[in-house]
Amino acid sequence: MNEFSNALALSSSGLKAQATRLRHVSENIANADTPGYHRKAVSFEAVRGAGETTAVEVGKTRLDKAELERIHDPSHPMADTTGYYNGSNVDLIIEIADAREAQRSYEANLKMFDQARQMSSSLMDLLRR
Amino acid sequence: MFQNLSIFKMAHAMATHAGTRQAVVAQNVANADTPGYAARDITPFHDLVSSGPRVAGQVATRDGHLHGQMSGAQADVFNRDGALSDPNGNSVSLELEMLHSVATKRQHDRALAIYKSSMTILRTSLGKR
Repeated sequence: MNEFSNALALSSSGLKAQATRLRHVSENIANADTPGYHRKAVSFEAVRGAGETTAVEVGKTRLDKAELERIHDPSHPMADTTGYYNGSNVDLIIEIADAREAQRSYEANLKMFDQARQMSSSLMDLLRR
Repeated sequence: MFQNLSIFKMAHAMATHAGTRQAVVAQNVANADTPGYAARDITPFHDLVSSGPRVAGQVATRDGHLHGQMSGAQADVFNRDGALSDPNGNSVSLELEMLHSVATKRQHDRALAIYKSSMTILRTSLGKR
């Protein structure tokens, strides 16, 4: 029974990590046109869970140090003397790919959670007879 | 069958093994995107009970035997080798983990079915439905 609660705890740590990642992706997409916005990136770290298990946790959020996009628009209020202003360094293609990957991993974790739950409930069914 | 109920012990060991393996698979899936994580697995159940692969080693068929208990709860966790790893050092393949988790679920269901039907035989012999 302890193994099942371990499995459920591990799956939920995975779900939580992927959900955080997905949230950061949507933050990035929402700010794709915000001048001066640096995209946020999260890293996953293996941490010690209950017993001998290795759970996953989201590490520190980092800002992407890549160059900001220079956009030419002399009529923009933030434009400098050359007519350029700093956009964001969000690349939508990267964000969409990241979101897809996060979704896939989320679904896999959800499936593992459901599987462990089914196994423990069929164990419970033995007692019901 | 009625002297020491070894079939129940075997079914119990099989279900316990399936639970442990499910936790390991859940751990792999949770860490599917963690850099540097190596996929893990535990000793298959048939290696724990059968005498086939172990030519030189002794096999415990009873709790009092030298090699400890027959219930194969002492499955070793090891890093699964031979898997190609991602550039970030992660060697988890979600497809493979799905396969393992389904195999584990089937093993668990099989163990419970054996337990249940043995229980039915016992109940019938006692004259209760």
